[in-house]
Amino acid sequence: MARKATTVPSAEPDSAPFFVKGRVIHGNDVIHRSRDLGVDFATPRLNLDDLIYPRTELPPLLNVPLSEIIDFLAECGQKLLAPGSDHVEACVERMAKVSLQPAATIRFMIANAAEYLERRNLREIVEQNFSDPRALDEWVTRSDHLGRRSAIRAFPPRLIHVLPGNAPAQGIRSIAQGALVKAVNVFKMASADPFSTVAFLRTMAEVSPDHAVVRSMSAVYWRGGDETVERVMFRPQYFDKLVAWGGGDAIQNVMKYMGPGFQIVSFDPKTSISMVGREVFGSEDVLAEAARRNALDVAMADQEACVCSRFTFIEGTSEQVDRYCAKLAAEIRADPFKAGDPRPLDRDLKQQIEVLRMMDEDYAVFGRADGRGVVIRSDEPVDFHPLRKTSNVVCVPSLEDAFRHVTVATQTVGVFPFNRMASLRDHLASSGAQRVVRLGEAGLSSVGNPHDAMYPLHRFVHWMANEAGG
Amino acid sequence: MGDCVNELLAHMPRRTGFEVSHAQVQKLQIAALSERFDAMVGRVKLVRHLAEDAGIRRITSLADIVPMLLPHTAFKSYPESFLTDRRWDRLTRWLGTIIAQPVTDIDLTGVEDLDQWAAACAKAGIFVSCTSGTTGKPAMLPACQTDLEFAAAENVQAVQWGSSIRVGDKRTMAGYGATAQSPRNNVTGGALVHAFADLAKLGTSSAPPITIGSITRMITLRKSIAEGRAQPSEIGEFERESAVRQAALAETLGIAADHVLAHHADKLLIMAMWGPLYELAEEVRRRGLTGRDFHPENAVFLGGGLKGAKVPANYKEVIFETFNLSPEFTYQMYGMQETQTSMPRCRHGRYHIPVWMICLPLNKDGDALVPTDAGEIEARAAFFDLSMEGRWGGVISGDKISVDFGPCACGSPSPSIADTIARYADLEGDDKIACSGTVDAYVSGIS
Repeated sequence: MARKATTVPSAEPDSAPFFVKGRVIHGNDVIHRSRDLGVDFATPRLNLDDLIYPRTELPPLLNVPLSEIIDFLAECGQKLLAPGSDHVEACVERMAKVSLQPAATIRFMIANAAEYLERRNLREIVEQNFSDPRALDEWVTRSDHLGRRSAIRAFPPRLIHVLPGNAPAQGIRSIAQGALVKAVNVFKMASADPFSTVAFLRTMAEVSPDHAVVRSMSAVYWRGGDETVERVMFRPQYFDKLVAWGGGDAIQNVMKYMGPGFQIVSFDPKTSISMVGREVFGSEDVLAEAARRNALDVAMADQEACVCSRFTFIEGTSEQVDRYCAKLAAEIRADPFKAGDPRPLDRDLKQQIEVLRMMDEDYAVFGRADGRGVVIRSDEPVDFHPLRKTSNVVCVPSLEDAFRHVTVATQTVGVFPFNRMASLRDHLASSGAQRVVRLGEAGLSSVGNPHDAMYPLHRFVHWMANEAGG
Repeated sequence: MGDCVNELLAHMPRRTGFEVSHAQVQKLQIAALSERFDAMVGRVKLVRHLAEDAGIRRITSLADIVPMLLPHTAFKSYPESFLTDRRWDRLTRWLGTIIAQPVTDIDLTGVEDLDQWAAACAKAGIFVSCTSGTTGKPAMLPACQTDLEFAAAENVQAVQWGSSIRVGDKRTMAGYGATAQSPRNNVTGGALVHAFADLAKLGTSSAPPITIGSITRMITLRKSIAEGRAQPSEIGEFERESAVRQAALAETLGIAADHVLAHHADKLLIMAMWGPLYELAEEVRRRGLTGRDFHPENAVFLGGGLKGAKVPANYKEVIFETFNLSPEFTYQMYGMQETQTSMPRCRHGRYHIPVWMICLPLNKDGDALVPTDAGEIEARAAFFDLSMEGRWGGVISGDKISVDFGPCACGSPSPSIADTIARYADLEGDDKIACSGTVDAYVSGIS
């Protein structure tokens, strides 16, 4: 154990070791504070020189066949899923202290992420991202229609991943994605989860300590926006791309380092919505079914994720829509995911909802602002961000009128009845949305489909051409 | 108003609000809270709603009032679309939920913008002050005539308690920076000028006032940009206007400096925020004046934090040296816009709380009182301002304070707050990354 920092608070902070190119770095040199819950954790001192992979050296994974990488990832996934994985169990406990999500949810997300490492899944992701996955393994030759020959390689990139704090298992997906494109990777962990990525990497190192995948990975923490780190690291001399989760300040902050040779691949913060057609009022059964489905999209992952529905646009009069809202509120409050005790709403948010309840000429509020589910009916979207199982149901004359509320920040649009998806999707895409799904199925997606309007792996690689003459 | 409230408020004109200890007055304060509660719960929809929600029927202890405290957002809880879609009827109905007076007397005929709406409210005796923040929607702080009169008089008394500045000093006003026009700023500013300034030497020392109407225009544009409805030319026009506003402010700096130079030998009364005041100091120095050229009894009112102003670390020293300022003639106070009472700073650097202002030290989550018998305690600041009559006076803040309910080394027995006030939001930082989020500045591009 390294020496203690001077500002150690009364309770011993949890250690968050680093992982650098296959080695675990222990040390409690620096105390940090998590952003959501204000819990302290300790990390080793950051040594930037160790994180760099010099461009004079070829990436360790360059000549490792993709099939071997997939086998290795799959084996690591098995180990993660095996009961009693020490690193994972220890990390779930520590994460529950710094994350907004409870231990059970974290455990579920990790299991879910481990399944992502299944062989067929990884293979399908690669096949969807690359028209010819052989380009990852070799120089693929082609001739154009004029007979000019060339060879193309999806060359391994140098990536810095800035991981999100709200999705405990994104680290494992990012590790897999980095490995599939054979990248050298630095993962900048979030203060709401400075543990899981290193825990996964340690598990991988136990499977094979010197594997090229393991040697291509480093995971560390620094406070987002720390100029002493970012001004030095975010340079094209060291990295090709910054894979950033987040938006607002987090993105604005890194944008100043972007330029030729150092690009951003950003997974922006997204809001998801639902669209419900007038057909829903055809019968009580149909209404009940739609409300049940809508509630699933609202309540999933405690409404913390980007795919969670926050606004529902619905064709109907306020009298009709109030019936729908009452049903929706009841369905959300029935806790369809058995998430258990809710996290209460902030006083500010609660206040904003309660004021609308008082303005009963213009609004109606169903349920309670207690974190178990509340629904607000209005004729314009509310201007706060619905959180903690809060749904704003907005009456519109027709779903087409809701297009103006769809922007590039709109990720998923759940539609009911399903047959209206086809007539809505062109306009939704034109407005900026990225996914259209059946209402109630926002959480499901086909393996390898685009994310945030791109094929991420295709974006990651360094596309290199070797012209071979006519 | 009840007898207990009246008894406490009577300390203000008598200038004895800081002469009483917490122990002496606590019972009376609780009785006064109870009077305020009983008077408001039937008249203010918001208060009734809070009371019903928390199951509070009467106030018998300070703890009873905790669930009845309003977050600062209570005064901007109206949907922004009321402004952007010019729904003055709805905005009026919203106002009706947070004030004691009926809004039925407000005549909305011919109201086209927010400035006109505020004027219509004023005609009905409801004076709405809007915050000047250029980001986010403005808070609407309604007050009745009695509130404004109390605030105006209380401000003058607080200055005299917290400094050696005296009524009748006949000082020359100096200042710089954009100011927001609101009924409260107008009344309290006017009272300060009348009390302390030489009305013959007012000069033009501040930038054109920002009206709430102009703020609304910016919000409307930001919304239409976020929704993708704004034309590129509208965005361009907006950016040009911002540049013009910046240029106007820069020009005002020159005028403010001219005014200071012309009257540098007078006893000045400088009113400005730290950031603009630093700029003025720099400009005055650039023109060759230093502390030796200024009157040793120059006075200054300092308010607010830096609000994002970029200044060097020694900005306070630069300001004090340039204008030859001394602690004796420096008035600093702590207060919040959701209440109206000032907490002036004593010569020991602590902000004192007068008897009609009840400090409620809360835990970080803001849902329970922390014990007050342990000397200096750290807490989330919340207050009940008993002087507020037009709206509910109980608010919870985002500030972390150290407050001591015992006597202060300065000699005053009143509770006081240390000069270490911080915002929880700043303490916790902004290291926030998540894949879910709002249509934020990254879409709107304008802040």
